[in-house]
Amino acid sequence: MKFTIAVVLIAFLSPLAEFLLPWWTIAVAAFLVALVIEQRPGKAFLSGFLGVTLFWCSDILFKDFSNAHLLSAKLAKLFHLPGYPIFIAVCVLLGALPAGLASLSGALLRAKPPRRKY
Amino acid sequence: MRKVFGVFTGLLAAALVYVLDNPIPLKTGSLPALGRLADPIAGCWANAEPANKDFGYELKFPGLHKPAAVWLDTRLVPHIHAADNHDAYYLEGYLHATFRLWQMDMQTRAAAGRISEVIGAKGLEYDRRQRRKGMVYGAENCVKAIEASPETKEMAEAYAEGINSYIALLKPKDYPLEYKLMGFVPEKWTTIKTALMLKLMADDLTGYSEQIPMTYLRDHLPDSLLNLYYPTRNEGASPVIPAGMAFEAAGHVPPQAPPHPFVKFDGSVAGTAAGSLRDDHEGIGSNNWAIGGARTRSGSAILCNDPHLGLSLPSLWYEVQLQTPDMNVYGVSLPGAPGVVIGFNDSVAWGFTNNYRDVKDFYAIKTVPGNKGMYIFNGKAVPFTQRVEHILVAGGDAVDDTVNYTVHGPVMYDEHFKEPNGFPLPLAVCWMAHRPSNELKAFYLLNRAKSYQDYTDAISFYDCPAQNIAFADRHGSVAIWGQGQFTDAWKEQGRYIMDGSDSSTLWQADIPKKLNPHVLNPERGYVSSANQTVTDSTYPYNYSGYFTEFRAWRINEVLDNLHDATIWDMFALQNDTRSILARHVLPIMLQRLPENVGMTDKDAYVALKSWDYNVTADSKPGLFFQVWWHCLYHALWDARFKAVPDGLLPSTERTMHLLEAGVEPQNIGADGPVAFSFKQAADSIAKLAKLGKTTWYEAKNTSVRHLAKLDGFGVEHIKTGGWGNTVNAMKGDHGPSWRMVVEMGAHIDANGVYPGGQSGNPGSKYYSDFLNFWTEGKYYKLLFLPNTDNASDPAIKYTITANP
Repeated sequence: MKFTIAVVLIAFLSPLAEFLLPWWTIAVAAFLVALVIEQRPGKAFLSGFLGVTLFWCSDILFKDFSNAHLLSAKLAKLFHLPGYPIFIAVCVLLGALPAGLASLSGALLRAKPPRRKY
Repeated sequence: MRKVFGVFTGLLAAALVYVLDNPIPLKTGSLPALGRLADPIAGCWANAEPANKDFGYELKFPGLHKPAAVWLDTRLVPHIHAADNHDAYYLEGYLHATFRLWQMDMQTRAAAGRISEVIGAKGLEYDRRQRRKGMVYGAENCVKAIEASPETKEMAEAYAEGINSYIALLKPKDYPLEYKLMGFVPEKWTTIKTALMLKLMADDLTGYSEQIPMTYLRDHLPDSLLNLYYPTRNEGASPVIPAGMAFEAAGHVPPQAPPHPFVKFDGSVAGTAAGSLRDDHEGIGSNNWAIGGARTRSGSAILCNDPHLGLSLPSLWYEVQLQTPDMNVYGVSLPGAPGVVIGFNDSVAWGFTNNYRDVKDFYAIKTVPGNKGMYIFNGKAVPFTQRVEHILVAGGDAVDDTVNYTVHGPVMYDEHFKEPNGFPLPLAVCWMAHRPSNELKAFYLLNRAKSYQDYTDAISFYDCPAQNIAFADRHGSVAIWGQGQFTDAWKEQGRYIMDGSDSSTLWQADIPKKLNPHVLNPERGYVSSANQTVTDSTYPYNYSGYFTEFRAWRINEVLDNLHDATIWDMFALQNDTRSILARHVLPIMLQRLPENVGMTDKDAYVALKSWDYNVTADSKPGLFFQVWWHCLYHALWDARFKAVPDGLLPSTERTMHLLEAGVEPQNIGADGPVAFSFKQAADSIAKLAKLGKTTWYEAKNTSVRHLAKLDGFGVEHIKTGGWGNTVNAMKGDHGPSWRMVVEMGAHIDANGVYPGGQSGNPGSKYYSDFLNFWTEGKYYKLLFLPNTDNASDPAIKYTITANP
């Protein structure tokens, strides 16, 4: 549940951050959410990664489809990638990875480590 | 421990962000800031234009005088309807910026020698060359001329205002994609940038020069061979002004050449940089022609123009219609300059080809030993005027390059910037493009011309680059002027590097422009030009130049035999790929080819014997001939000129004439050069076939590349026939940059196409949407709207309502 909340919160807060601030504030958002919501480190990483993936991937796919892949196909060639889907995946990864790391860092830096429930 | 990991991963995330937020230098170029680029909000995805984007809107334009409308048609051509000149050029600037901002910004930076600002130190050599040839100096002089005329001052300033009004709307996310990829930002537009754009064209069209190689050749060859290989007039030319026309000022006596005009150096100089050969500049150029009403089916004049320039995306041209109360003009404009360059209005149509009369000369400068600030002129030491060029370098320190200006012009080459082939003396360049001239005024007036008289008044402002300007009106008249500013040269002035230490070699008086070669309604019923020799030998002024003849021979041959011409005939001629060269030399080549050698490649040999000399895209004999001729040309000349520094080979025309006359300059191979080159060609063709290239178009690879040569942003292996010496002059990266056919009848029937699209955005569906039509030789009907406040045409798709 906390995981889901974290993912949704990041997916919601990162666009808000980017609305006014540079792209990398998505990582700051992921960091802050992980700092607030108690999670195990692995899940925290995943929440940052998935939260930003939700945002970036949906926005990119929307723009790419309404553009009929004209731009992504060209950029894929420019960067010598095998096709536009790979270019899109790389783009998403470039946002998700720093966000995941930031969430992981946030979870680890939390004052109280989460207790495991058995 | 947990906290340590936390800090560590936090730092890792920050480091990753840092890496992704900054460009990464590589051995070849650099990677853009990848995180910024990948960002869906402000990165490349912001440039992914929705395929169904609505280009219509209503907007307040600061500084606009009155409400105006821009109607965009289905091909996204804007039809600007404005209340006055200011508003028309303001909106033209706004639209150029909207669709082509990166291109015009980049090209004017390139013109000014400011590439290093963007790409770093590897642009320095280019930048220094631009500065040293006086590009900025010329543009500054041009600005003075533009601002001295109230009309063009207003035109240039309103245009800049429009561009800047667009830039002011932009947030970084809105910047054209190339800015994001190359990591720089748009800058404010001023008149100097427009002037630089004009100078970029002048450099492209008149920057070519052969004086340096000719100087070496003169010292290498006996006079008899020099004149045989490099005649001062092309033999058999079919000139722009039909032979036999009487010229005004026929009584003019040209000035006498001074006794020792050319620089001499001792024999030790020759051979310093031997081994670099250069082909003649075969087939650089353009075609235009206009057929008078007497020879067309409709009885109306037809004007055609296809300027051959570097092919690139975004395209060099941008189609536009401009309407004000005193003007209704349609044509192609140059993003970076206001007005229409090639086009037509309610009354007249006009088109350009380059007039290759030489307007750029080199002078050897005699330095003063021990005094770097002086040079010798007329026996006295004279100080240079020094101009410090401050070149900014991305990621490095700025460089100051001091350029010495002489009475002739800037010293382009000296010990600080060596001539590429090692010419040992400092060379100053004297170039018509340095002078204050106002070509914008010519465009301004041409766009409004109503008659032949208006056209001649307009082009009287046209100085450089010299052009053959064809004309047609709606009464069936046609004309052509070989227009530009020229000087009254003595014989052979500027053929070799001149001695810059003596005033006797200075450029002579200007020839009054009204005495430039021209013809109105010639007897033959049409005018035409294709970069060939301008006049027959009876023209009373001396001139030299870099003329090519093949396309003119073909065009005039077709037009001489054409009666009842229609626009369909014109389309066919613009797309004609018959090789005059092949028709002349192939029979000789086949005749001199021993049968047994020919039979070593029987298929090709047989196909060539029945070939129709048409270099079509799919042609196999066409491919074989082109390769064979290339091999033969080099077999004939290379060995002889290898020892000459900057070895300029004789022209294709000359080589053809020598072969026809039975002269074989070089004997090579056991069976002579023809057999030798046939075997070479057969080998090359076999190698090409292994690569899967069996037809002409696959081998020649006509491409329209991105202006910054970005992979994937251009189109390669375009299926087109032709070569530089056929009318459809499709070379590797040069070709018909705009094809226009306009019938000036009761109804103006205008047709055109260019290899690109109206949008410069690689993420737009309008980026290269004309390319297929262009490749296939098809044309769009150009929508020429009547000059009314409420345009209604089914082809109008979007409307921009512009309010002050």
